[in-house]
Amino acid sequence: MPGDGSPYTAHPPTDRAAMLEAVGAERVEDLFDVPEAVRFDGDLGIEARSERAVRREVRSVLDQNADLVEFLGRGHHAHYVPSVVDHLADRSEFLTSYTQYQPEVTQGFLQALFEYQSMLVELTGLPVANCSLYDAATALGEAALLAARVREASGETVLVPGHVAPGRRAALERYVDGAGLAVATYPMAGGTVDVAALRDVVDDDTLLVYAETPTVRGAVEPALDAVGTAADDADALFCVGSDVLALALLEPPAAAGADVVVGEADALGLGTGFGTGHGLFAAREAFLRQIPGRLVGATEDETGRRAYTLTLQTREQHIRRERATSNVCTNQAWLALRTAIHVATLGAEGMVDLAEDQVRYARDAAARLDDLPGVTAPADDAHHFREFPVRVPGDAARVRDDLRDEGFAVHAVDDDLIQVCVTEETVAGVDDLTAALAEVVS
Amino acid sequence: MRFDYPPERRYRPTHEWLTADEPRRVGVTDFAQDELGDVVFVELPDPGDPLTAGDAFGVVESIKAVSDLYAPVDGEVATINESLFDRPELVNDDPYGEGWMIEVRVDAAGELLSADEYREQVE
Amino acid sequence: MSDDDRGYTFDQARWADDDGYVSLLSEAAPGRAEPGDALPDDLTRDELALPDPAEPTVVRHYTRLSALNYGVDAGPYPLGSCTMKYNPAFLEDVAALPEAAVHPDRPDESVQGVLEIQHRLQRALARIGGMDAVTLQPPAGAAGEFTGIEVTKAYHRANGEGETRSEVLVPSSAHGTNFATAAMAGYEVVELPPGDDGRVDIDALAAAVGPETAALMLTNPNTVGLFERDVVEAAELVHDAGGLLYYDGANLNALLGRARPGDMGFDVMHYNVHKTFATPHGGGGPGAGPVGVVSDLAEFLPTPHVRETDDGYERYGPERSVGKVHGFTGNWLVLLKAYAYVARLGDEGLRDTSATAVLNANYLAEQIGLDVPYGPFHHEFAATAGDRDAADLARAMLDHGVHPPTTKWPEFVHEAMLTEPTEAESRRDLDALAAAFDAAAAADDETVANAPERTAARRIDQVGAAREPRLSWQALGDENAGTGD
Repeated sequence: MPGDGSPYTAHPPTDRAAMLEAVGAERVEDLFDVPEAVRFDGDLGIEARSERAVRREVRSVLDQNADLVEFLGRGHHAHYVPSVVDHLADRSEFLTSYTQYQPEVTQGFLQALFEYQSMLVELTGLPVANCSLYDAATALGEAALLAARVREASGETVLVPGHVAPGRRAALERYVDGAGLAVATYPMAGGTVDVAALRDVVDDDTLLVYAETPTVRGAVEPALDAVGTAADDADALFCVGSDVLALALLEPPAAAGADVVVGEADALGLGTGFGTGHGLFAAREAFLRQIPGRLVGATEDETGRRAYTLTLQTREQHIRRERATSNVCTNQAWLALRTAIHVATLGAEGMVDLAEDQVRYARDAAARLDDLPGVTAPADDAHHFREFPVRVPGDAARVRDDLRDEGFAVHAVDDDLIQVCVTEETVAGVDDLTAALAEVVS
Repeated sequence: MRFDYPPERRYRPTHEWLTADEPRRVGVTDFAQDELGDVVFVELPDPGDPLTAGDAFGVVESIKAVSDLYAPVDGEVATINESLFDRPELVNDDPYGEGWMIEVRVDAAGELLSADEYREQVE
Repeated sequence: MSDDDRGYTFDQARWADDDGYVSLLSEAAPGRAEPGDALPDDLTRDELALPDPAEPTVVRHYTRLSALNYGVDAGPYPLGSCTMKYNPAFLEDVAALPEAAVHPDRPDESVQGVLEIQHRLQRALARIGGMDAVTLQPPAGAAGEFTGIEVTKAYHRANGEGETRSEVLVPSSAHGTNFATAAMAGYEVVELPPGDDGRVDIDALAAAVGPETAALMLTNPNTVGLFERDVVEAAELVHDAGGLLYYDGANLNALLGRARPGDMGFDVMHYNVHKTFATPHGGGGPGAGPVGVVSDLAEFLPTPHVRETDDGYERYGPERSVGKVHGFTGNWLVLLKAYAYVARLGDEGLRDTSATAVLNANYLAEQIGLDVPYGPFHHEFAATAGDRDAADLARAMLDHGVHPPTTKWPEFVHEAMLTEPTEAESRRDLDALAAAFDAAAAADDETVANAPERTAARRIDQVGAAREPRLSWQALGDENAGTGD
């Protein structure tokens, strides 16, 4: 009945009448047991539109977004998503299914999530991965809360690197407030961890040491082992932040002693989505029963066939309530499916090749920009993955704004530092960016 | 009567039993294991940990339920039944025997029920 | 299946061999890729071992997996408190617009389109909930709860009562997330027992509320579909004691356009857009859990918030913001779908949604033979399996071609089968559901104990899965991750 209610309710008027009769009501309003005082009889003031009109309207509003080439990263990365990812993940058997509480009819999703967990085990080197959290920031928050629960760690301070995305730190602070934990910073030197300075900061009160590779500024961290040792010496847990593509190339964090790995898995499978994230979370076996979120396990059905099921659910809120490992319920399962399909499509060779490309893109682009007078790129001593800081003459915010006027988006990260992120999606624009920066800083 | 409650042992209303003789062991009753269903995990304290009557000392889990284990005595944990970590099903199969959970050094027993009193409570 | 069954055929096991469905690892032997010279050796892994399937193999693998899965597009999915409604197809196209795919660190003036949609959605949700301000940042319902309770905490702290107000009251019928959220925020949880009529016992509430009360978290209609008739009185009790009232929006579908939490006295609420506003559940997210608040709480909302200025729209940090609950600004691509859904329906469509959802639940409750305690219901009801095990009966329903309801919850209903058909089910599908309920209830014990027989996987050994957790290919080791060969 277009124009007469929702297009997504299923009853012709005759059915509606028969159903009302079956329940003994004259009008559907009679079924609402809502006291008069709190009934709403007003207008919400929302005008219904046709599907066509809504699509046109959304597109025309979104068209107001400026047409910029985005050299942006810092925790949200644009990689090319192969068509098969959309086509397979959009199958409605996946897209319109619920969490797999009825495993007999959700084996497909369960297996896909089990395979996703397995991919993360290989990528992180840790034996247990869950099947997603919201994003890297909230996954870090969960890692800190895990540290506060386990016997292996003591203390009340979470140490984060001097270079960390402000949003990631802010979400961490909110997450740990209820547990009475504090967040403090340790220094960086030359773009990566200043291990000696870290050792000065770590003490008995340190609960968790967090380090990233690549860092928020794109630097590959060469001293992860030393960071892990510093954490260990203080009975603190060691949490490494990374992303699903970088892990294909870098030394697995477990080899550097990581107890927990968090990060963004949205780098594969999703593309840019205004920060829509997909948190990855893996941990040591010892923390199995302290892990937040859902876990899929392999088992058998009664005929002896391999089957999958959500398992160890007693950790979760629907059973353990106020003593659950987390309140997380709905997470990012469909994005985990998308990531898994993307990883499968790339394969081992494709993953490593794509990851190595990101190192070369950053290196080559930095070399181009470094040739400009007054410009230093990269502005630190590190190896970089996708992105790197650039020292510019004058005010970085002004340079960023001037570049925007030329059609390019970059980050301004400090007084005289901008940050440039290059992926396969933007590498073709590096020449133009270089020319524009030359103009802007001249 | 569906369940067995050895008469010489003492019971907490929360379904733990305590043996009368040394070694003084603690476990859960036949009734409790049946209510829980298949036990999949048992979390126990470390030997040497102090115990306070009525306070939780461990956790027993089935697929869909989690229950605290409450100490029947004041005292200390002497040893724990490590075989439950690999074979939690012992709690179901043999709740008064191989499914025991901890051995305790007793300073003072809490208020405990006789087998008959416990049976009356649960049945 | 018998002639009476009109449901879906679940038996997609034709894709499996005798040992179970083949894994990706078996379809494509693990490739072992070694890094080249992009980075020094000491920074890189020795090798990466992952399956290396060709694209056609990937397509077959996931297409076959999809055939082993059931979605609401295939048939009824009446999970109580989950609101598995139809997800309009066009929402996917809206979210896939290339103009939506922008980076959050762009300056405001270059993302005016995104900010305008966000602002419009903030306003629409505020009106729907009777709230004054809405944040879109929480990425799921539980994250919305956390945000709302953190806002509550910030409010009490600002009033110098951060220490004294240490308790959050939660009815025992509430979703587990309410308990977990309050604990995560550092609160003591005080559980309120249900009254004889299945609703909050107002006397128990009066006894529990006091100067320690930070908030009462309430779901309305509650988790068996009953409207909390005493909600105004409850709000007064809590407000008089200086506490705040939190509305869990999981069941808002029942009230769209007909009653608003703000009008009932709630101060803060979350919306589940993946329930009420038709964004697909995706097998467990992404969802979104926007939070609405009354004006007194608006200054505590997360950063950034979107507001309209003379020049357009801007992001800013509310004065006493709780900071952030997400690294960026939440699940934008999901929120965009919710905006399109609300715009498509408008006032009339939203009212029709709640009316039809309530009609469908009442009709279905009337059609089935099982006892349904309490009432009158709104969008869902809890039938009782009686002397049967509700989960067994649910598995038996699968053999009649429908997805069963939520079982054994809430616990105060004996062997509960919590059923929420939503507005999307046709009368024919509701009749099929009722037939499946009745057929399962009428089945003999042996049939029920052996069910399901017509599904891709039969009854699953969950005990074994928990006693010996095997959570990856790697943990399966020699057994192989695949076909058992």
